[in-house]
Amino acid sequence: MTAARVLDHVFGAPPIAGGLFDVDASGAPFLMGGHCDQCDRYVFPYSESCPACLSGMKHVRLGGEGVIYSHTTVRTKPPYGLPQPYSVAFIDLNDAPLRIFALLDHSMAGGFRIGDRVKLKVGVIGHDGEGDPRARGYFTLKDSR
Amino acid sequence: MAAAYIIGASTTAFGPQPEKSIVSLGRDAALAALSDAGVDSASVNMGFFANVFGPLLFGDTTIGQDVFGAIGVQRAPIINIENACTSGSSAFHLAVQAIEADAADIVVVVGAEKMCVPTLGLVGGGQSDYASRNGMAAPVGFAMRAARHMHEFGTTLQQFAAVTVKSRAFAAKNPLAQFRKPTNVEEVLAGPMIADPLTRAQCCPIADGASAIVVASEKAARANGARAVRVNASVLTSGESVSAPDIVRWGTDIRTCALAYEKAGVGPDDVDVAECHDAFSISEILHYEALGFCAAGEGGRFVESGASAPGGRKPVNPSGGLLSRGHPVAATGVAQISEIVLHLRGEAGARQTPDAKVGVAQCMGGDKDGDTKSCTVVVLSR
Repeated sequence: MTAARVLDHVFGAPPIAGGLFDVDASGAPFLMGGHCDQCDRYVFPYSESCPACLSGMKHVRLGGEGVIYSHTTVRTKPPYGLPQPYSVAFIDLNDAPLRIFALLDHSMAGGFRIGDRVKLKVGVIGHDGEGDPRARGYFTLKDSR
Repeated sequence: MAAAYIIGASTTAFGPQPEKSIVSLGRDAALAALSDAGVDSASVNMGFFANVFGPLLFGDTTIGQDVFGAIGVQRAPIINIENACTSGSSAFHLAVQAIEADAADIVVVVGAEKMCVPTLGLVGGGQSDYASRNGMAAPVGFAMRAARHMHEFGTTLQQFAAVTVKSRAFAAKNPLAQFRKPTNVEEVLAGPMIADPLTRAQCCPIADGASAIVVASEKAARANGARAVRVNASVLTSGESVSAPDIVRWGTDIRTCALAYEKAGVGPDDVDVAECHDAFSISEILHYEALGFCAAGEGGRFVESGASAPGGRKPVNPSGGLLSRGHPVAATGVAQISEIVLHLRGEAGARQTPDAKVGVAQCMGGDKDGDTKSCTVVVLSR
């Protein structure tokens, strides 16, 4: 069984792209990215070569928690069958020096604030360019308000 | 390095034009620009044509030869350009380089776009891009810049809305603009929310339209006499990927503006009139800061002061900008430069900047890793 098939089973649909996220033994999701041993640089999503020194990059875990740096809620007709409205953010990851773009939990769209502590979840959200359902990573509040 | 001049410029009306094709829009602008320059098509040595959505919406590719063929330019090299919102200004940049390299005497730049069709949704980066597939689209990156600008600098919703109010005030004086009705802060904020905190009137409308410019060598410009406008600098840069992009101190924007000022030997205080890429209200606030018209973080208070409005000390987007004139993507970069040309010649009619000697046109295109993909800044003078 390939890794992609395992993820299909775990998340209910194939991931929107390979290598973005995975789950640990307890079932908790974490992000996957790249790390360059030469320049100690992290990237997300994974890239085969380091954008700075062009060395090959290793696949590494980037954890599943962070803090919202900025966010918005999109209220117009969404692309890729995403929920309407849907919220997105730039998130500063706790476990890697990266500010990444990601979806936020649409069940509380519009309810996020800069500085909120968030954690990764994965669910079937929207579809791909062909209209087939896809699993996407999204961040939700780590602590209840 | 040889000097480059603009000897002709023309822009069509912007807005839905269902009876027009990309080629007919481009032809209209190009013929008017040639006529403005007083040169015939036989003297055109080279052409650059910018378009973004033809391949996606109509399956049309390599359209430049059709546009230039329609204005009687054949055999000469024609190059087709796509560079997101800076497609037109990137085409202009290449035309200037061709003149500066002494590779041509007369080069024509045309940007033409037809995008007012029902199939056009939110404009994003495409299916191969991680961010686009996870909800990044044209308003999203800017809405997050707006939220962060409020958080760090105390910028208010009213200050964002003031950008649109100022834009409509200028557009009322531009017969070619799409939205010409004056508005006010309350009306802007009461409109439907597109991406928090940006309401609809703070997002630029799509449009069909074209703009064209004739760029010439010093020798060819001499015949044009006093109407020729000097190109003091044309700079094109790309964004970068960094670990944690600062989305409210926009490095690529700041760097590109500084490079253009340095190359032209002028500073922000010398600029009499500017066009910038106001795709969203927050965009213009960030560009004031990058252009050095106010300090970092002060863009909201700058627009609120009236400094960039009609009659202000630093008029910005007198054409009405993207917010009111409309944004036919590949035409925009050319139209911005054309607008500055009108002011430097004293031909801008009711919206004329008094005694304009130095003007700047700034443009940006695309989203990548919290930065833009491309940025252009052009400095012109008479």
